[in-house]
Amino acid sequence: MVSALHIITAALAAAFLLGLLKEQQRGLAYGITLLTLALMSWISAGWLWTFASTGTAAVEIFTAGTEPPFAINLRIGLAEAALTLLINLVGLLSALALKDTLLALGRRAMAVWLVAVMALSGIVLTRDLFNLFVFFELTVIASAGLVLLSEHAKNDGQALAAGFKYLIVSQFISAFLLIGIIFAYHATGTLNIDDMAAAAPLLGGGAAQAFALAFFLIFIAVVAELKPFPANGWALDIYESAHPAFSALFSAATGAAALFAVDKLLLIGGDAWLPMATGIGIVTFVAANLLALPQTNDRRLLGYSSIAQTGLILAVLGQRDILGEHTLYIAGGLLLSHAIAKAGLYWLSGLIAERGLEAWAALRGQPLLIFAFVSFISMLSGLPPFPGFYAKWELIHLLAGEGRIVLLGLILFGALLEAGYLFRWFGYIMKREAPTEVVDNVAHKFGAVFATLAALAAAWALSLVWGELAGLQFDRFNMLLALPLLFALAFLLLDWLPVWVKNSLAIAGLLAWFYLTYTEYDPLRMIFAVIFLIGGSLTLLASYHEHGRRIGFYPSAMLMFAGLAMLIRATDSFDFFVAWELLTVGSYFLILRGKHSEPHALSYILFSLGGAFLILAGFALATQGAPYFDLAALADLVQPLAPWVFLLLAIGFMTKTAAIGLHIWLPGAHAEAETDVSPMVSGILLKAGLYGLIVLLLTMGRQDFYGVELINAMLWIGALTALIGNLLAIFQEDAKRLLAYSSIGQMGYAMFGLALMNHLGWLMALMFVINHYVYKSMLFLSVGGVAKRTGTRQMYRMGGLITLMPLSFIATLIGIIAVSGVPPLSGFGGRWIFYNAILTAEARLPMILIFLAGPIAFLYLFRLIYTIFLGQLKDEFRRVKEAPFWIVLPQMIYVAILLVVAVVPGLVLRHVDAYLNHFFPNGGLIWEGTTITSQFGYWNPVAIMIIVGVIFMTLFAWLLFVNRRAQKVKQFNIVFSAERPFRPETTHFAWNFFAPYRKALGFLTLPLVTLFWSTMTDLLHTAGDLARRFYTGNGQTYAFHLLAFVVIVYLFGMGVRP
Amino acid sequence: MSFDWMKIPYALLTVFIVFNYGLLLGAFIQKIGARAGRRYGIPVWQNYVDLIKNYGQRTSITHGVMFYLGPVFRLTGGIGLLLFVPTIYGSYMFSNLSFAGDLILALYFVFFGTLGMALGAGESGHPHAAIGITRGLSQVSVAELPFALAVFAVALQYQTLSVTDIVAAQQGGVLNWTLFTNPLAVAAAMLAFLGSMMRPPFDVVIAPQEIPIGPPTEYHSAYLALMQTNRAIFPVAKMVIYMNLFFGGATSWPEFAVKVFLLYLFSAFVGVCFPRFRVEQSIRWFLIWAVPLGVQAILWV
Amino acid sequence: MISLAQMAMAAGFVLILIGFYGALTQRNLLRMIVAFSLANTGVHIVLVAVGHMRGRTAPILDAAVPVADALTRVIDPVPQALVLTAIVIGLGVTALMLAYALKLHARKHTLDIAKMTELKW
Repeated sequence: MVSALHIITAALAAAFLLGLLKEQQRGLAYGITLLTLALMSWISAGWLWTFASTGTAAVEIFTAGTEPPFAINLRIGLAEAALTLLINLVGLLSALALKDTLLALGRRAMAVWLVAVMALSGIVLTRDLFNLFVFFELTVIASAGLVLLSEHAKNDGQALAAGFKYLIVSQFISAFLLIGIIFAYHATGTLNIDDMAAAAPLLGGGAAQAFALAFFLIFIAVVAELKPFPANGWALDIYESAHPAFSALFSAATGAAALFAVDKLLLIGGDAWLPMATGIGIVTFVAANLLALPQTNDRRLLGYSSIAQTGLILAVLGQRDILGEHTLYIAGGLLLSHAIAKAGLYWLSGLIAERGLEAWAALRGQPLLIFAFVSFISMLSGLPPFPGFYAKWELIHLLAGEGRIVLLGLILFGALLEAGYLFRWFGYIMKREAPTEVVDNVAHKFGAVFATLAALAAAWALSLVWGELAGLQFDRFNMLLALPLLFALAFLLLDWLPVWVKNSLAIAGLLAWFYLTYTEYDPLRMIFAVIFLIGGSLTLLASYHEHGRRIGFYPSAMLMFAGLAMLIRATDSFDFFVAWELLTVGSYFLILRGKHSEPHALSYILFSLGGAFLILAGFALATQGAPYFDLAALADLVQPLAPWVFLLLAIGFMTKTAAIGLHIWLPGAHAEAETDVSPMVSGILLKAGLYGLIVLLLTMGRQDFYGVELINAMLWIGALTALIGNLLAIFQEDAKRLLAYSSIGQMGYAMFGLALMNHLGWLMALMFVINHYVYKSMLFLSVGGVAKRTGTRQMYRMGGLITLMPLSFIATLIGIIAVSGVPPLSGFGGRWIFYNAILTAEARLPMILIFLAGPIAFLYLFRLIYTIFLGQLKDEFRRVKEAPFWIVLPQMIYVAILLVVAVVPGLVLRHVDAYLNHFFPNGGLIWEGTTITSQFGYWNPVAIMIIVGVIFMTLFAWLLFVNRRAQKVKQFNIVFSAERPFRPETTHFAWNFFAPYRKALGFLTLPLVTLFWSTMTDLLHTAGDLARRFYTGNGQTYAFHLLAFVVIVYLFGMGVRP
Repeated sequence: MSFDWMKIPYALLTVFIVFNYGLLLGAFIQKIGARAGRRYGIPVWQNYVDLIKNYGQRTSITHGVMFYLGPVFRLTGGIGLLLFVPTIYGSYMFSNLSFAGDLILALYFVFFGTLGMALGAGESGHPHAAIGITRGLSQVSVAELPFALAVFAVALQYQTLSVTDIVAAQQGGVLNWTLFTNPLAVAAAMLAFLGSMMRPPFDVVIAPQEIPIGPPTEYHSAYLALMQTNRAIFPVAKMVIYMNLFFGGATSWPEFAVKVFLLYLFSAFVGVCFPRFRVEQSIRWFLIWAVPLGVQAILWV
Repeated sequence: MISLAQMAMAAGFVLILIGFYGALTQRNLLRMIVAFSLANTGVHIVLVAVGHMRGRTAPILDAAVPVADALTRVIDPVPQALVLTAIVIGLGVTALMLAYALKLHARKHTLDIAKMTELKW
């Protein structure tokens, strides 16, 4: 094994060697630089491999032939090896990305680059306090030197000013550091970190106090290198102005090294200093994310994000007292995620010509780079399967186990803010107008592209490693190896295939997975399995109508389906949460594909992530420190914890079912999605939330929260959701929005049914699950088909399409009859069960809302079918054709299903009914022949169908007989107030269809919830925007911030310490 | 399941009786209304004449399939509603086809005809038809609320959804009627009843006196005849439900005739006394006056 | 009685404070650099002062100070070593700052720190 010391010596030697070269031999110099960096990386990699594979203890490296305290010693262990590898690799890749600049600047710049990387490695390796100072100063000098060297005409001296500000601040920092070091030395008589750590606790009286003060100075100086809020204005300016390849190093490597230095210092200071680290870290994390919200410059935004991530990791280091041996896994996961993602993003930014966030739309058309971007932001947001996800999971669980709820809440809040601006940015990339200048000269910027892709590879490799580690540490499966996820990821590689091949593969995959697993499901899960998998493949039939390759569709869709498939098989909290996140992310990408869905997809992902964080917090509270638990164990929770867990989980699941108050994302997201995506996200995805609620209620049931029966609250929420959803639906002009609001109402019904907590309530909810899938998928498809043909979703612009699109009309007709619950179709079964269910319910008042909501459904349903298919045909649509075959086909299948289910509901329901007896032994149905009997009433679907059919056919025959000469007349042949109408536009009564209703009840539709949430986001934005003005851009102000920061931390921190 | 085929002629008999009774009753009530307005009014057989005339009309046009089917839906709804509820309590002959479902079936089947006719009228392309439908739907959505609450209260009171059982529980004296055992529910339901009878003050849906408006605008000849047939059967079917739920049902046809007549008279009585509401006014009216009664009813059961 | 070391230390801190004050109040880049030099010097004096021990000799092991009793007779050599390093580093940083000042002046034709605030927020 090559001594790790050679990481440093190699860099120094090469730097000197470069000095000997001629100025013109730039290619050679560049080659030497790269080789040296590669050599350094190789040494680190070798050590990492040794430690990882054999698990040997850390190795001490002595210099100057003596042992400490008389000479400096270095140490390399697993963490050091990993970090130096990270630093050296980032150095190497950044050097590649910097190729043009380095070649232009010549050997001096290369030497400085080598020294910078070397110094960072030194910070990691050294065990000597003063040596640490030296390496820090070297870093500062090298960094400032690089900024100075890379200054070029384009940015008008901004980088110069930034570099100078950096130097000003670093002067203060180094003064603190030096004074602190000398007094610490004076107190303990050693500069060796380990010796000092051993000596410090033995100090007594005044010496201990003096040492504490000295240590404070050292500590705060090193923490200041982490750019804590608010003493970080200088760093932001560097991030914004420096060459992105340098910023990559500055963010990924410098941050990592400084964090490790803090970690070493905490070894000296001991647990007493942990709260200070936590406090600084978490304040920085939240504040930096808040300030990042109003940023418009990509690099500055990344700077804020870097600062935030570093703050988070600092907070994690501050929690080592409870994280214990997991600290390395958690902090390492977060740190590596941050470093790789941030370096990758900075390298990517080198490819973008302009600095606005919208300018990144230039990436569009480069699927690989977009995939890289997505991977990076997912990594930063802590989404599975990236290491940050495992880290976050463990962290939150351990924090919850120790009752550090405030910190937990702040971390999740900050993470949500961060996800907010990252995903907003991704929305810009996918949806904003691309600048004319596409990614400029990708071939020319080979280095940056290569570096980005290397980071991408590293990201996924690390996910695999962290998954394996999770397996070792916590006995978890490696989620990256879960078959459904692998299947979804495989579509990334197959994206070059034409749509019909991929579609067939996707359908085959869903069906095969169902075939493989169908024996595992109990009847309850079977319902969901059938909807998710069989239903999913049915919906996918509609996707055959697309041509070309449809890049990105299948990975997203299959990611969602993978999540769904894993969700119903999950038996413990971890598996469940992984699946939940996967389906959320997948569906987000799907929704984002819609033409105008950028803002809606954003609000979807934010609500979903917010909900997911609540679920995470709920799970974490429930486990009490254990890494995960069996979902069935939720039932064992007791007061006072249980209602909190229930509340968190319930709200989390309700974000997915779009309960009132959390519903504002749904209409836009479902309406703006593509034709075949709307049924997936409405008919299928919404059921995931219901599934969550079912699991929750099955295990936890009734909970009392400070005197409030939570299930009753849910009853009210369900009823209110049903009412408001339906009410809003009747005022929509956009057909798909109407359906989307209707989904909100329907989910309200289902929630209401579940919250009844009796046998029939559940049966009704499950019937809603099935019915809603069928008719909502069908309606979305037929409306989508119509919108595709007419080019509009505004219903008042359509009309009279019945003869042109008869099949779509039939589907819609059957659909609305089923939704409205009119016998003889299947919707009636749901209503019948509903009435039986509420007769045994305890709370009666919520029924009023539900009773009102029911008939309102007729209003929007009639509007839907009338304004589209009936009324007056418009001139521009006279040549419209029936919807494409592949969109009509699934609709016809759904029609068949609805008819079958209408006649023999027992086909599905009686199994569920029997199964529900396990949980609600009383109040089941009796299935005798074709009659279904409950405690209160009875119905016979077959008889109803026959009776209605016979009467109808008889009367129809009678009418045909007496009216056999009826003559078809033209459109305008109507009795119209003594005139003959001639313009369909003015004759088609469609716009503002329910005007009287608006007059009477319009006040209920005021967008109060939207107002609330937009005010919240505005407040956050405004707060961020005001607070960032604090960074005046003046170097002296920044220095003053630093001093103020030190004083404040001192006053706070010293008060807190014992 | 064994089906008693004799039920079919029995059911047809019910339809026949109710049809004739409905035609006469409608004309009779019309006449009462006219007399209240100091007019002479129509002869009681007028509805027969209209019906025959309409069936006999030779001109006949159609605007399309749904237009054609609209009246069929409408009348199916009326006859179905009648047959899903037992007309005469204790009589096997006139228990009709109530084995197919309970009260809930009847309540939801009301919408079958409404929906079908709304679709048919919609296809005619006449804006007045659509305007009438929006008014009707708007009004009924709120008018149904007190009724639904009353039904819920009654079902809770008797712990059953079977119409037969509800009637059975009210036997044995007038004081056993829901009218007296649960007056709030009945009050709420009777207010809702006004809203569903297409009489003033809630008749803006068809607005019979002014320009032709409302769903039937474009219907004529045999279509109209079918709808007229329905107009004879449907209100009676609905009043049968009211009678069964709130007024002790009927054990014989004379009792049936009297109760239905009085119910009809109630709406006619209110109709001649009050002017017409606009839709938003009637919505507010139901919410303010009828719904609270219904709420009280379900709370006090 | 105030010892030499204490006086030196006090002087060092006074220098540091003067330097910091100057660096925070002077808007001219060159004056700021001078202020930092003052502060650096103060830090160095503090460093040396901490290492000083009364009545001991320089840490040079020769005939005058045998190795055996070196520990009791010489002052602590480490702070001196540190100071040397710190001085070198301080020199490097000062040189770098001067280079920056030069380039900034060439670019912006001003040395006023308050006029270099294009990057902010």
